[in-house]
Amino acid sequence: MEFGSLMPNKAGITAVKKLLVSFIVKHIWRYIFGVLLIICSSLLTLAIPEILGLITDGLNLKTMSGDELTWYVVLIAVISFLTFAVKFTWRYLIIGNCRNLEVYLRGKLFAHLQTLPVDFYTTHKTGDLMAYAINDVQAIRMVFGGGLAQSLDAIAINLFSVLFMSNTINPKLTAIVYIPAPFILAAIFFIRVHIRNRFIKVQEAFADISDKVQENLSGIRVIKAFSQESSEMKSFRLISRKRLDAQMKLVKISGLLGPGINIFFGFIMLVFIIFGSRLVIENSITVGDFVAFNSYIAIIMTPVINIARIIEVWQKGIASYKRLDAIFAVKSEPGNNLPAQAPGEIGGNIEIRSLDFAYPRTNRRVLKNINLKIKRGSTIGIIGRSGSGKTTLANLLLRLHSVEDGHIFIDDIDINEIPVDVLRENIAYVPQDSFLFSTTIKENIEFFRPVYSDEDIENATRLSDIYDNIISFPEGFDTVVGERGVTLSGGQKQRISIARAIIKNASIIILDDCLSAVDTETEQKILSNFSAILKNRTGIIISHRVSALKHADEIIFLENGKILEQGSHDELIMKKGRYYKLCKTQSVGPKEGENCL
Amino acid sequence: MSKALDYDIFKPTQKRFRFFRLMRYLKPYSLSLFLGAVLSLLINVSVLAKPYLIKYIIDDCLVSGRNQFSIPYIAAAYFFIVLFGACFEYTQKYLMTYIGQSVMFNIRNELFHHVQMLSMPFFDKNSTGRILTRITNDVESVSDLFSGVIINIFKDIIMLIGIVSVMFYLDVKTALFSVGCVPVIMLITLVYRIAARKNFIKMKGMLSKINGFLAENISGMKLVQIFHREKEKRAELENLDREYFKYSLREIILHGFSRPAVDIINNLTIAVVIWVCFNRILSSQLQIGILVAFITYIKQFFNPIRDIADIYTSIQSSIISSERIFEVLDTKESLEDPDPGIRIKKLKGEVEFKNVWFAYNSDNWVLKDISFKIEPGETVAFVGATGSGKSTIINLLGRFYNIQKGEILIDGININRYNLTDLRRRIAVVMQDVFLFSGDIASNIRLGDASISDSDIKEAAKYVCADEFIQALPNGFSEEVREGGSNFSSGQKQLISFARAVAFKPSILVLDEATSNIDTQTEIMIQNAMSKISSGKTSIIIAHRLSTIKNADKIIVIHKGRIKETGTHEQLMDKKGLYYNLCKMRKTDIPKA
Repeated sequence: MEFGSLMPNKAGITAVKKLLVSFIVKHIWRYIFGVLLIICSSLLTLAIPEILGLITDGLNLKTMSGDELTWYVVLIAVISFLTFAVKFTWRYLIIGNCRNLEVYLRGKLFAHLQTLPVDFYTTHKTGDLMAYAINDVQAIRMVFGGGLAQSLDAIAINLFSVLFMSNTINPKLTAIVYIPAPFILAAIFFIRVHIRNRFIKVQEAFADISDKVQENLSGIRVIKAFSQESSEMKSFRLISRKRLDAQMKLVKISGLLGPGINIFFGFIMLVFIIFGSRLVIENSITVGDFVAFNSYIAIIMTPVINIARIIEVWQKGIASYKRLDAIFAVKSEPGNNLPAQAPGEIGGNIEIRSLDFAYPRTNRRVLKNINLKIKRGSTIGIIGRSGSGKTTLANLLLRLHSVEDGHIFIDDIDINEIPVDVLRENIAYVPQDSFLFSTTIKENIEFFRPVYSDEDIENATRLSDIYDNIISFPEGFDTVVGERGVTLSGGQKQRISIARAIIKNASIIILDDCLSAVDTETEQKILSNFSAILKNRTGIIISHRVSALKHADEIIFLENGKILEQGSHDELIMKKGRYYKLCKTQSVGPKEGENCL
Repeated sequence: MSKALDYDIFKPTQKRFRFFRLMRYLKPYSLSLFLGAVLSLLINVSVLAKPYLIKYIIDDCLVSGRNQFSIPYIAAAYFFIVLFGACFEYTQKYLMTYIGQSVMFNIRNELFHHVQMLSMPFFDKNSTGRILTRITNDVESVSDLFSGVIINIFKDIIMLIGIVSVMFYLDVKTALFSVGCVPVIMLITLVYRIAARKNFIKMKGMLSKINGFLAENISGMKLVQIFHREKEKRAELENLDREYFKYSLREIILHGFSRPAVDIINNLTIAVVIWVCFNRILSSQLQIGILVAFITYIKQFFNPIRDIADIYTSIQSSIISSERIFEVLDTKESLEDPDPGIRIKKLKGEVEFKNVWFAYNSDNWVLKDISFKIEPGETVAFVGATGSGKSTIINLLGRFYNIQKGEILIDGININRYNLTDLRRRIAVVMQDVFLFSGDIASNIRLGDASISDSDIKEAAKYVCADEFIQALPNGFSEEVREGGSNFSSGQKQLISFARAVAFKPSILVLDEATSNIDTQTEIMIQNAMSKISSGKTSIIIAHRLSTIKNADKIIVIHKGRIKETGTHEQLMDKKGLYYNLCKMRKTDIPKA
């Protein structure tokens, strides 16, 4: 389908870039100060070994006075406090701000997602889309937080220490010490690539365990019924074993990282001890320089070790940047992002004129030459097999897909000229798959807009025959549903989503096969309640069960997108066509003299 | 009856940490553990030796100028100490990971085995998610205890002791001043850890709320768009994100305080030590290299202290996890025992309920004094409203639940006396909501029972007319079945589950008839398959369709847990009682032709 794959966007200035630039511009002073402070803090960090070297020399040559020493000791203390303050401030400015960026990007992304058409959600898994809003946004945050700060820090420290070491101590020694650095980098990088690959294997092995257990538990009834416990144990053991093997493979390589770095350090120290001492003996450098140098090695190595990790952060960030770009490039449904208008009234006279419809980028027409007039106050039933086009028709009325001008009219106005929010505000829709949010029943009925009185809510639930169920819960209307709360049956969910539609008090009501999970008795009860509600409204009842729509003023029988038969229940029965046949299969065949019928 | 597992992760627990019970899992690996401890000692020695060598170079070679010839040897020694230390470290890490993973493997298998043997009431009370977390995350978190925690505590304590000893060996007075910083560093680290962890849990909680919000709103996006609540939903996310931001900023502030604070303490201690040593070095009572060594050792205090603080928090989560694991392992009262009982070769299929009373929860009787008898080969339909107790009868027959009063007999013998495995294998249950496992079609029919051959599978599929659609698939019986069977229609799934039931060659067949969302074509196929597989066997059908009911040898009408009417369709229709009313309600009033 249209959204099958999200390709990276090749356009010059992309949506994400624009967002990032505007964010940075908005916070530009934070970044400028932050960078300056990073430079300050590296200078301060490098000052301590220098002072230690001076003290060592002073003590060694016994040239230092008590006052001088006091001064140095105080200096160390002052530098310590300054370093603390500076480090803290830049962390707060730069890393703190990246959390701001995370929230900012997620908000923008969610707002964008809200404008995307329904088809987008049928072709993308929820989990995948969540990954954009959590993982990818976080990967970009990491670049702008730790990634940025550590890169700057590493550059500053190394730059200044090379200057310090070669200027104040000895350039040759500095060069010698730096020689192994590229090798360390290459080695760390190499190991990290392998670690990452093997770590993914560990995660996969863990996910396999999770999937296996999940499936086992969901199917425990079947397993027990067919006495398959022992074969399940056997297969679980294998999967569990794989987890162990994957971890051992990982540690084989990840265990190399720490010791490997140590060995390189050891080598640097070997070189330093030999050459450094020779320089001391030759009187090219002092003992104090030797001591200071020893400390520098430790300081410069930390950023070197971190570089591989920083590169990884950047790589991930760039990949996520591309992914986010692709999703921001998906076009919004036209009309979904129209400015909100004052809700207008819609009468509810619907007219459909020779409507053909095919989903975007497909050739198969799902609706063919549909002509239909539904007057306000009348109710129409749409029946047909799954795939016959019933739900598509409802979706078009809600403008979940767009149609060309001149086919659908509401109150004689082309549907494309009615603002989407006005249109949807005036249609109450009960979907086939009743979806409840995991919040209170009350909130699910008023649907996050608390403008209804308790009486309204109670009334709506009475009409949808769920009131008694709700008040039987200890928390009543405040009962939380879903995973963290009460588990409702399919029928209960459907009845709550019916109440949600009733309370809207809209002029058009669409019931999309929404009574499939309630028993026949309740179905009839709700439908008879609906007949009162529908008196002054336009009703559209979609079902594959005759019992749900036989009382409609008019019934259309859809097949393969075409209206096959049209008329009232009695008319269609008299016709003895497809509708009649369907009636027969849905009940016991009408035999003469059979009193069950 | 078993209690629901404690789901609240952060609830303080009153139970004693069953440390020794956990340690039992380590017993097979005590030799490896001992080796790990020895290696830890050696690693510590190598770490401590390095500053000492530098001190030797400074004092004995550079300052005094005496042993200059030994410098290359010392440098080589330094390198080899590092090299050996690195090798020990690698070996130790490998060893400890192996122990941790092995213990995890064992605990996990034990737990999974235990869960398999638990009976249905346990699964009714504990959601899949909860049990899943025990077997996945909790086991992982306990393994940390074995692979890292125990050995690292040992290593870190030895390290601290080592540093202090070397310091005192070098110079007692300086050592006394240096050690002064340890408690301060400890305090800072611990306070930070505790605060950070609290904050982290809150932050994680917010993140999972955001996760939940996104999951729900992406799957419910259509509804939000239809009801035009985009703005409200955006505001909701903004609120969650604002809360999340609060904790995540606090994390950065806490982190920004802790490490630099330790650096301050380190540097201040160094300043104090220099101050203290000053006069003694000037008067040559103390060598300068000792001061350098002290400076290095003071910096080394921090790592073991930080690790111990880390361990403290990881022990906490291990405790919680281990308790939750033991809670499941200790659920003994609903354990099923598959071994004892009368072995069954073949059943005639005579089923009898004698005054059976049953309640899922203590006093809430679902079945009240149920008695009936089904002759071998008979087809019996149970009819009644939702919640009347029809499905419960099926559950009791396979001994998924134990009855409180009365007796259930099969072939005249109480079902409690049969071998559980044999009993269930002789009864095939086809449920309304079909469950398919990921794998392929063949594995879903065979269900891990190797004794069912490929030709058995084909035969079974053919018998229920499922082979037609299976052969039409690109891979036939090896066609992949995705999670939950999502790549098959509900009708196809139903047919596969029929084939499964037939392949197991049961003596008694139990069918819970499917009701909704199946198109007419498939419905007819399923009806045919059902009548075919029930012929010649004792069949118990929970019926929703009048056509099924009518063909049954006997109809039992259940209302509120009691048997109200029994008889054939004609008998019951004549009676004009409950069944008659039920029929009337279900029909659609087609004018008589």
